[in-house]
Amino acid sequence: MNRRRQLPFLRRKSRRPLWQSALLYAIVIFWCFIVLFPFYWLATTSVKRPIDVSRGPNYIPYIDFQPIPDHWEEMFGIQRESTERHFRNSLVSAAGSTILSVIIGAMAGYGLSRFKYYWGRLGWDNDNIAFWIISQRFLPPAIFIVPFVLLYNAFHLIDTYGGLILAYTMFNIPFAVWIMRDFFNGLPVDLEESARVDGATRWGAFMRIVLPLSAPGLVAVAIFSFIFAWNEYLFALMLTNFNAITMPVLIAGQNNTRGIEWWFISALTLMAVVPVIIIGLLLERFITRGLTAGAVKG
Amino acid sequence: MKRVFLSPAVIILLSLSVFPLLWSLGISFTDMQRGGSTIARQAAAAGITDGVGFLGMGFELTSRNYERLLDDGRLHSTVRNTMTYVFVGVTIQYLIGLGLATVLNQPFRGRNIVRVIFLMPMMMTPVAAAYTGRMFFDSNPLRSPLADFLRDFGKLLGLERGISVPWFTDTAWAPIAILIIDAWQWIPFMTLILLAGMQAIPDDIYEAARVDGANALEIFMRITVPILLPISMTVILIRGLEIFKIIDVVVVTTGGGPGSATESLTLYIFEQALSNGNYGYASAIAYVLLILVIIFATLFLMAGRRLAGGRRD
Repeated sequence: MNRRRQLPFLRRKSRRPLWQSALLYAIVIFWCFIVLFPFYWLATTSVKRPIDVSRGPNYIPYIDFQPIPDHWEEMFGIQRESTERHFRNSLVSAAGSTILSVIIGAMAGYGLSRFKYYWGRLGWDNDNIAFWIISQRFLPPAIFIVPFVLLYNAFHLIDTYGGLILAYTMFNIPFAVWIMRDFFNGLPVDLEESARVDGATRWGAFMRIVLPLSAPGLVAVAIFSFIFAWNEYLFALMLTNFNAITMPVLIAGQNNTRGIEWWFISALTLMAVVPVIIIGLLLERFITRGLTAGAVKG
Repeated sequence: MKRVFLSPAVIILLSLSVFPLLWSLGISFTDMQRGGSTIARQAAAAGITDGVGFLGMGFELTSRNYERLLDDGRLHSTVRNTMTYVFVGVTIQYLIGLGLATVLNQPFRGRNIVRVIFLMPMMMTPVAAAYTGRMFFDSNPLRSPLADFLRDFGKLLGLERGISVPWFTDTAWAPIAILIIDAWQWIPFMTLILLAGMQAIPDDIYEAARVDGANALEIFMRITVPILLPISMTVILIRGLEIFKIIDVVVVTTGGGPGSATESLTLYIFEQALSNGNYGYASAIAYVLLILVIIFATLFLMAGRRLAGGRRD
């Protein structure tokens, strides 16, 4: 995306006829509307009176309907204990598995990038091992339902943070290893080698030289791990029953326990979605890099 | 020393992925149920406490689960639904994603903002996207902005009552609603990755083609599409494998209904395992899903290799 590369585009831009520009903007604005309107609808629904939700549709606050803060107050008032607990559960399990995935993923990625492994019995070298690791990411989670329920019951991990963190770490590791290996492959070895000449151990060089240099990769892995764990539904539903229930399970359960109170669900949904979106948008460049890292080279 | 780096990842994957995988293969050949197998319960009722079943482990070895697969009508419809989600979903998402990426690849003001906006849906938990979808696919125009729009749009076309779609109550429409929700979340993902691929194509190639007198369509079909082939294959494969796992959107919107018109394989496995406690049968179905996934991935990679046919360096 350097200057030289953009020049031909700029030239072409000046030649673009007006109708093409109009069509371009029309498509872009239309699709942005498709993407953004549901978020707008969630936000407005969360401040509507129930009557405004069922006797509408009401689009514009203060004109079509009078916004009220009641549902947000309920969420942080009467429902405060529940909201806080589920939010904390999501936060702890997502953060815990993110930390573990980043550490373990970086270690394995570094190993696969810098050492030669050979698993004699299987005849596997680094590429085979890396492929095996990433292939675990694509196993359907449904296949783990029965063994995980039995395993977690046996080890009393049902409804604990540790259980969720462990499961999410397992799901996140393959992707973490894949991205980090890719990242380390692009990182010159000279720096580590000079550090080792100066007497640093392999581990010391990894901790003090390599990890700080690979911050962008680590951040990308962290965001992906966090978003995955934060949004995950199936395992959270299956491995929790009260204490460790996360936000997605809480939201999905609104259906049965309280009838469909769209205004409250909208507030709750925003509560679950907005923090992640803010983190994501702040760290947007890392996400784009992470998304394209594997795929573009594909 | 080098083992230290790789071991944690390998140990976690061996114990939480490979071992459960093999274990559930074993379970799929037993009559294991929640609260013990039939034979164990009969023995317990008769006062026998140990030494029951296969090697005294309290369950029977059987291939009954796999025989049962063949005439389970509900299973067949969930397989059909899942395949529909995967193939129709991926096709729609890829084509629209490619179209949008082509549009966004033109220079225009505000492209970076659009890129940021496009990241938003895929960061939303699918459960939330599904609830939002439910608000929009409500057929009552008093509640849903979409129904409101369709009614007015239909009237504009001269229909007396406007257009009303029975989204979640009709067996033909319900899967479409689910496909739309999934597409809404993931078309931006397709778009961003294909856009990154397009922007990595050097402009000299386009310039050369333009000098040779190729028109826009020819350039797109002969240059952009072939160069994007590897990245397209990757992104289609990733999305396809992800859609195989669909459960949250289905649970929240229709719960699998009407009938089992929208039930996905993952949801059916979940119900068999946790609602009915049929561990053995659930594992057998899970292996059906795994085999479908493996066939899909293998055929896809083979097709991809043939299409790319030595063109890659």
